[in-house]
Amino acid sequence: MWFLPEYNWHFNCLKLEIQKLMKPFLILLLASALAAVAGAKEIKLLNVSYDPTRELYQEYNAAFAKYWKAKTGDDVTISQSHGGSGKQAQSVINGLEADVVTLALAYDIDAIARQAKLLPVDWQKRLPDNSTPYTSTIVFLVRKGNPKHIKDWDDVVKPGVTVVVPNPKTSGGARWAYLAAYAYALETYGHDDARAKDFVTRLYKNVPILDSGARGSTITFAQRGIGDVLLAWENEAHLALKEFGADQFEIVTPPLSILAEPPVAVVDKTAKRHGTTDVARAYLEYLYSDEGQEIAARNFYRPRNPAVAEKYAANFARLKLVTVEQEFGGWQKAQQTHFADGGIFDQIYQP
Amino acid sequence: MKLNQLILTAAVGAQFVFPALAADGTATNSTEAAEIEALRQQVQALDQKVQSLEQQREAEPPAVADTNQEQIHELDQKVRILARQHELDQEDAAAAAKTRPLVKLDASGFTLSSADTNFVISLHGLIQLDSRTFFNDHNLVNSGFLLRRARPIITGTVFHDFDFNFTPDFGGSTVQILDAYLNYRYNPELQLEAGKFKSPVGLEALQSDAYGFFNERSLVTDLVPNRDLGVELHGDLFGGAASYAAGLFGGVSDYNGTTVNTDSDNDKAFAGRIFLQPWKTTDVGALKGLGLGVGGSYESDRNAAAGLTPGYTTDGQQKFFTYSAGVIANGQHWRISPQGYYYYGPLGILGEYVISDQEVSRTTAPLGSADLRNKAWEVSASWVLTGEDATYTGVTPRHPFNLHTGGWGAWQVVGRYEELNVDNNAFSAALPFAASTTSASSAHAWSAGLNWYLNRNVRLNASFSHTLFSGYAGATPAVPAQAENVVFTRIQLAF
Repeated sequence: MWFLPEYNWHFNCLKLEIQKLMKPFLILLLASALAAVAGAKEIKLLNVSYDPTRELYQEYNAAFAKYWKAKTGDDVTISQSHGGSGKQAQSVINGLEADVVTLALAYDIDAIARQAKLLPVDWQKRLPDNSTPYTSTIVFLVRKGNPKHIKDWDDVVKPGVTVVVPNPKTSGGARWAYLAAYAYALETYGHDDARAKDFVTRLYKNVPILDSGARGSTITFAQRGIGDVLLAWENEAHLALKEFGADQFEIVTPPLSILAEPPVAVVDKTAKRHGTTDVARAYLEYLYSDEGQEIAARNFYRPRNPAVAEKYAANFARLKLVTVEQEFGGWQKAQQTHFADGGIFDQIYQP
Repeated sequence: MKLNQLILTAAVGAQFVFPALAADGTATNSTEAAEIEALRQQVQALDQKVQSLEQQREAEPPAVADTNQEQIHELDQKVRILARQHELDQEDAAAAAKTRPLVKLDASGFTLSSADTNFVISLHGLIQLDSRTFFNDHNLVNSGFLLRRARPIITGTVFHDFDFNFTPDFGGSTVQILDAYLNYRYNPELQLEAGKFKSPVGLEALQSDAYGFFNERSLVTDLVPNRDLGVELHGDLFGGAASYAAGLFGGVSDYNGTTVNTDSDNDKAFAGRIFLQPWKTTDVGALKGLGLGVGGSYESDRNAAAGLTPGYTTDGQQKFFTYSAGVIANGQHWRISPQGYYYYGPLGILGEYVISDQEVSRTTAPLGSADLRNKAWEVSASWVLTGEDATYTGVTPRHPFNLHTGGWGAWQVVGRYEELNVDNNAFSAALPFAASTTSASSAHAWSAGLNWYLNRNVRLNASFSHTLFSGYAGATPAVPAQAENVVFTRIQLAF
């Protein structure tokens, strides 16, 4: 081999020649290469989120970029990707290079951790409140005057009422809505699973169309004029009122619904590869700051911070909120029972 | 309304007529009274019936209207649902299309790509059928046809960042692997290539074989390395305004058309190149196509016969210089090549100067060594008569050849002047490394030609080259004994 010891004398000569002839050339090349590497270090984050968070993160990203610039002097640009939460999780599993995920429910981030192993399975312990910096719930958005007199879940399952809700197979919001209805039936019928199943069967008989995400369902209901009631994220319902006008729709808050906890997490392996771990972590932690909580509340997400929650209390109706843990034994069990292939949803829904 | 009015009138009239008749009569009997009573009852019954009908009529129209309204609403909802479902189906179809592999077949070749373009494989090809006709050569050289190049070219990408190229050549009389390399692309600025590929020195040598002005490269390419085995760091900076390449190679002799797949000695070569196009990304149109650079290489050969060129060749690919038997490369071998081009509209100019400095030794008496410095330069120019832009990567006809539509492709005139001078010490009488009886010490040539680009894939060339030699003292007729006059033609398919 050319680099064996017997050739050392030769390479000493070679080095001298290189130093004489090639040094300036190599220095220039090295400088060029270093410049190339340095130029590639611009901080960019990709936040893969669920459907209705567009407006929240548009505002939050601007605030965080300002905060990060003031703190470190670095510019950070955050790109957003939105879609049904389940679909988004699958995209990350399939290779979408998210630095952070802010999805509709913990199960979807669990799927990323378990299937793609891009973050540890105990990811939810890394940030306060089970890594859910804000919460929400499912409410009814009805047409102005509430012509079908929809006040509670019983009204939604009545014959002749057309319900708009996304597909639980792809949408996190849809899964929350399904479970809210199921939880209502359990509470109403003494935790009789058969009657609860019958209840959601009747509900989905009233659903003529399933969008893949919450934003799609809002379009179906509000823009395309389909249906009598939209089962919507609370924030999405408020946004619809804001965007389309309170003269067209009304929000009806049922006496009982579900506590929706949309979690956030750094996608460790991707962030590490991008060299963005620190900024990604800071990005999520800042959601818990006063400013982050204010932005969440302004966008109709229920803040965790008690002071901010108190300040915006008028925006959020009081109702009984059940949790997935209480009613369904956690997300893993709920997913398997209701939404996995062959689960209850597959049994009751016939398109 | 008329029926109602008639009945009411009759009823009211009856109320007055029957009592009057009763009053005028002188006698009433029970029969008449009964009839009157019966009539009264009939009138009352009719009155009730009218009232009932009125009520029924008042009640019925809104009910019918509501039913109609409801039906219209239901139909409207059904239509909206169908329209929305169609919209969602289209969205699903569009989303599904994004995940389907892409197949493309066009002038750039055949490409199969995954939907996310992380995996790509392309098939390209280059076929060149040439003719060379020599004049006034005393029948020393055979004129004739030649399959100059016949290359299937397979390129592609795996896992987004890893590019590859595999190019065998079935042209000429030797089948060989020309390119076989893997290129890791961290970003355009920083890439690492490994395998067999062109050494980054000569501008003309680095130009694709499909895009040269003439059938054959000029005399400067005789002095630069051809393809070599090695590892190279390279990239394009500032949007392509600057590019660099630096690598460690096995080391090859001055240009040898026959490449090898093994590194035959322990000596390695460093080669590198910087090329600047400062105005490439600016709006200064007249300077966007100006590129200047320098390439170079260095290696140290020890007792390496393989390190010496097999010979320098003319445009007609005839050897006019070879080192004598028993001469070997033995010491430093460095090259430097200042180079540049300028393309502006239909004008294209390319120029290059090369020094190849090599220490050589004789292994037979008289023994001795010398540092020989061979030099060459060339300048070539082209003008696209049909107005298309001339570029380093060829000419794209504005109106491809088509007899039905009247397109005639692009026409380009080309000219070149070139020289190669071998170090005079090579012919030293006391310590000769080459024989003036078999080799010339210099060659200079001019060429002119016409190229016809029928379309992006098909090109026809015709050119004439005239080469003069000096320093040849041979007594017998040989290639350098007289000028080389050759007419080239080419039919080329490149995709």
